[in-house]
Amino acid sequence: MIEYIWLVPLLPLIGFLLIAFNFKRFQGSVSGIIASSAIFVSFIISLIVFIEIYSSKQTATVQLFHWIKFNKIDISFSFLIDQLSTLMLMIITGVGFLIHVYSIGYMKGDSGFNRFFSYMNLFVFFMLLLVLGSNYLIMFIGWEGVGLCSYLLIGFWFKKHENNNAAKKAFIMNRIGDLGFLLGIFMLYYYFGTLNFNGIFFQAHMFTIGNPTITIITLLLFVGAIGKSAQIPLFTWLPDAMAGPTPVSALIHAATMVTAGIYMIARSNVLFVLSPITLLIIAIVGITTALLAGGIAIFQTDIKKVLAYSTVSQLGFMFLALGVGAFTGAMFHLTTHAFFKALLFLAAGSVIHALNGEQDIRKMGGLKNKIPITFFTFLIGTIAISGIPPFSGFFSKDMILIGAFEANSIFWIIAVIVSLMTTFYMFRLLYIVFWKRSNKEDLHAHESPKNMTIPLMILAVLSVLAGAFGIPLVFGGNDIIGNFLSPIFTESTNIIKINAHEISHNTELLLMFIPVIFVFVVVYLAYYVYVKQKKLPEADNQKRPFFSNIFFKKLYFDEIYNALFVKPALWLSDFLHNIIELKVIDRMVNQAGNLVVWTGKTIRYIQTGNVGFYLFAMVISIILILIFKLFI
Amino acid sequence: MNAIIALSALAILTMFFGVIQKKSVLLPLILSGLIIVFFLNVIEWGTFKHYYNEMFIADNFNIAFTAALILTTFLVFIFSALYYRTVKRPLEDIYALMLFSLIGGITMASFGNITMLFIGIETLSISFYILAGSKKFDVASNEAALKYFLTGTFATGFLLFGMALIYGVSGSFNLQAINSYIIANKESIPTLFYAGMILVFVGMAFKIAAVPFHFWAPDVYTGSPTLITAFMSTIGKVASIAAFYRLISITFLNVHDFSVDILMLFAIATIIVGNLSAMTQDNMKRMLAYSGISNSGYLLFAIIAMGPKSAGTLLYFSISYAIATITAFAVIMLVREERGTFSLQDYKGLAKQNPVEAFAMAVAMMSLAGIPPLAGFMAKYNIFSVAMNGGYVWLVIVGVIGSMISVFYYFKPIIYMYFHRADAHKKIETTKAYKIHILLVSILLIILGFLPGLVIGLL
Amino acid sequence: MLSKYIFYFLSSVAIYAALMVLISKKPIHSVLYLTLAFFAIAGHYILLNAQFLAVVHIIVYAGAIMVLFLFTVMLLNLNIEGEFPKKNIIKFAAVIVGGLILITLIGTFRTYDLEIIKNPTLNQIGLVKNLGKVLFKEYLLPFELCSILFLAAMVGAVMLGKKDIQ
Repeated sequence: MIEYIWLVPLLPLIGFLLIAFNFKRFQGSVSGIIASSAIFVSFIISLIVFIEIYSSKQTATVQLFHWIKFNKIDISFSFLIDQLSTLMLMIITGVGFLIHVYSIGYMKGDSGFNRFFSYMNLFVFFMLLLVLGSNYLIMFIGWEGVGLCSYLLIGFWFKKHENNNAAKKAFIMNRIGDLGFLLGIFMLYYYFGTLNFNGIFFQAHMFTIGNPTITIITLLLFVGAIGKSAQIPLFTWLPDAMAGPTPVSALIHAATMVTAGIYMIARSNVLFVLSPITLLIIAIVGITTALLAGGIAIFQTDIKKVLAYSTVSQLGFMFLALGVGAFTGAMFHLTTHAFFKALLFLAAGSVIHALNGEQDIRKMGGLKNKIPITFFTFLIGTIAISGIPPFSGFFSKDMILIGAFEANSIFWIIAVIVSLMTTFYMFRLLYIVFWKRSNKEDLHAHESPKNMTIPLMILAVLSVLAGAFGIPLVFGGNDIIGNFLSPIFTESTNIIKINAHEISHNTELLLMFIPVIFVFVVVYLAYYVYVKQKKLPEADNQKRPFFSNIFFKKLYFDEIYNALFVKPALWLSDFLHNIIELKVIDRMVNQAGNLVVWTGKTIRYIQTGNVGFYLFAMVISIILILIFKLFI
Repeated sequence: MNAIIALSALAILTMFFGVIQKKSVLLPLILSGLIIVFFLNVIEWGTFKHYYNEMFIADNFNIAFTAALILTTFLVFIFSALYYRTVKRPLEDIYALMLFSLIGGITMASFGNITMLFIGIETLSISFYILAGSKKFDVASNEAALKYFLTGTFATGFLLFGMALIYGVSGSFNLQAINSYIIANKESIPTLFYAGMILVFVGMAFKIAAVPFHFWAPDVYTGSPTLITAFMSTIGKVASIAAFYRLISITFLNVHDFSVDILMLFAIATIIVGNLSAMTQDNMKRMLAYSGISNSGYLLFAIIAMGPKSAGTLLYFSISYAIATITAFAVIMLVREERGTFSLQDYKGLAKQNPVEAFAMAVAMMSLAGIPPLAGFMAKYNIFSVAMNGGYVWLVIVGVIGSMISVFYYFKPIIYMYFHRADAHKKIETTKAYKIHILLVSILLIILGFLPGLVIGLL
Repeated sequence: MLSKYIFYFLSSVAIYAALMVLISKKPIHSVLYLTLAFFAIAGHYILLNAQFLAVVHIIVYAGAIMVLFLFTVMLLNLNIEGEFPKKNIIKFAAVIVGGLILITLIGTFRTYDLEIIKNPTLNQIGLVKNLGKVLFKEYLLPFELCSILFLAAMVGAVMLGKKDIQ
């Protein structure tokens, strides 16, 4: 089946084309069904390939065609199928399929229904290209493509001006990161002479650890990852990206696209382990992002914004894992996070759907009994993300925490704090949205249709069970995911492990249970504050305590960027437009054009129409050439 | 060789059917004849033969260019039905003359002896002189014929004089023999020989309409009947450039250092003058005449650089140029027949009324302008890279500037067709066959754009 | 020795006649001078032992073409003096240009020592027998192709000459 892997990205592309060309023709949910079934078939193929890879432990490169062949440059359009890419395939097509099905219900009646599904299919296509590509260039195509689709989908309801602004913000911020990524690719080509993963990783052994070239390359690649995966300082676009439809937030801004940065670094792990400085920077950026975003999430009042900051925070967590060399942990958390965060977003979407578009949590409450399926699935998601055993989040977080502890205990402490913050804001959200408050009248709410709730339930089951793939050895599990991914990471982990100290099983158990105890405390704390005391977040205009105000205002990141970059940039472009462009360049260009036109008009006069003159000119030319060539 | 014999027979047969007034037979006969000739030509592929004391050399270069010439003639004949649809008489003389000039062109692409080159050029030119004046009651046509004849014979005089000088010094007309003479006397070649070379180059430059020997081209191309213009500007150019390439690659390669700066002068002047003059034209036919001139400049690049890919690139450029030009002229003919002039104004809103024709025209124009992924782009790209590999950076810079200017005038008709509203014109009625032909030709141009490696790899 | 004198004589006649073709005011005089020039050149051919060429030259150029010219001039009654006035500046430019090309060509010829080729077969090349052998052996293909060239010219002449029924 591996040789048919090209079908996996091709089907969504066909779906996209089919819908795009019948844009006006498709009525009802036809386009949704086409889009979903395209992804479903892709999923089935991915599943078969996954099983093949899993059982045979083989990897393969499927070459489709020579793409660019010029002098020494030979870049082929080929796919790399190994453990890492098939795992990503499963997430993208699996979660993607569920979200597509969900969207059929969610987007029903929207005037842009067909447009929505064409974009979604296009997105899946590019995302598959990103993970399947066997060299950095194809990855970059996918990378840019998903950025484009993200832009299109954030600004999906383009009639609202702020949505367009959010889309532009996402696009521009991503562009900054992409520049880094692109420079990294250029440098890779310059130093390695190829862009193939296999070729580069093979040659990477020739470099010593701490080689400055590798450090620069990896830092540049990391800049790309920062942009795509919304880390400090380029994270502010992700919360704004919530302007798009909720399934988009679930698929693109939680489960798949934003994890591209993590995938890319995990893919390039051979390079990154050669540069301890980069790894340290990654870990610090990751943990700082996780901490700050967690803090902001606690004070948000918009249901999707809370989830968005939670995503940023979890992504930071994954970067921490990458930074400390726990690549398997990062990938595992990526997987479980894809399940429960997609679940949470979809459930949130279901809530929003139930309340006809209301997103402010202060206006919600007591939905527990009215939309029970949504409630239960949301609850499962919350428990999973909080890291309560035996839900999946526990195991993946645990893997990261152990990794962090092995590297540096300070990382571990902060990571535990972040994890507790996660628990707090998630349960805060849960209590405010679903528990009844007496002083409020009953809200009118209705449960979502079946095609929305069934994906929720499937995702809920996955959120519960996915942890089973990573049950650590201490519990008698056999760490399936670790073994599965080991061909890719073993070498790198060995390099990292030289410096790390081994920890005993007892310490490991202890490290697991300390956070769990605290988690329960925090759950109660949230219960006490938001259910017992019925505390509600203040209204927007109300004065807040200094500290909470800072977090409510998202640490003033937007304002700082505005003053620091946006305003000077606007001033500069104003200057360039009014003075340089209009007064200097335009005039020069126009004059050049005028000159050319004038010459053309003048040259026309040579063509007199008089044969005598023609012959005369010819003879003169011949004489000049003869004299010039023979006598001078 | 077989191609020439078959073509002569075909021409005579054409005249015979004309004499017995079988008008309806003529075109099918010629078209099927051309197809047969094409295959007769192609089957000799790979067999390196020479006939009659190396008078005629059937190598792959000759076969490829002969095939290109036959293809071009075939396309012109396809559109001749449209052009001559109002004429009652059989027109066997015009058709026969076109076939004769094709024979001349093939001879020019395959000569192994300078006498053959001369006879080929003369066969081509004399047929052209007459064809240019074939619209007997049109003053412009008469003027074109006379101008072409006068300037043409003048240039032929210089060409012949040059050949005589070369013969006088080297003692042979045979290309290889002259080459051996050059190699043997590398240090002591007399000035006389160089003078002969320059004069031959002048004659060839005149034939491909390179500046400063281009003066005849705009007037002749504008005055001649449009179909003939299409024929002359393609067959004439392709055959002449093939002859030029052959002459230099076989004979004058060892004195190429001497000729390079003359050729560069021709190329640069041609690109500048051709493009600048075309820019200010409002007459489509005249604009295309200048466009033909500027394309000669690009063709010269391959001859100047003389790299390993020169021949293939020349072939590819020639084919893409010929097809695009014929497509454009086919539409021009149609519009002129309906609306009376060649003015750009007549193309207003053509896209709305005649989408197929407008599309073909747009494709042709974009290909000539060098817009990817059309054949014209790949042709220009490859010819620039040939020049670049030869180290002629300045030449390429001039070429690129020239093509930038050319975008301006090639897009004029597109803008008129697509972005202007038609004022008083009605839809032009065309036959279905014409529509299919023109569509096929323009699609050929698109397909060709994806196969540059294939064509260039032939030679 | 005699042939040398004859050569110079014929050459001066040819140059004189050619100049007179240009200078004569009446077209008919020009044509007649041209005929004289052709005869002089035919004399050169004989000097070169090329009798056949000389005869053909006289028959074709002096006989056929010149007679055609004369008839054209006479029948169309073109024999009017001063019909083609030229501006002085054009005359001046033409002289300069002609002079320049002459000087240039002389310059190129001057540097070349013409080897006198003493080849007995080449000496006899102008004879009918030898010429025929060369034409039908070595130059058979160009010779045959010439027939196509002439056929094309003939077809063209007929086409331009005949009345068209439009």
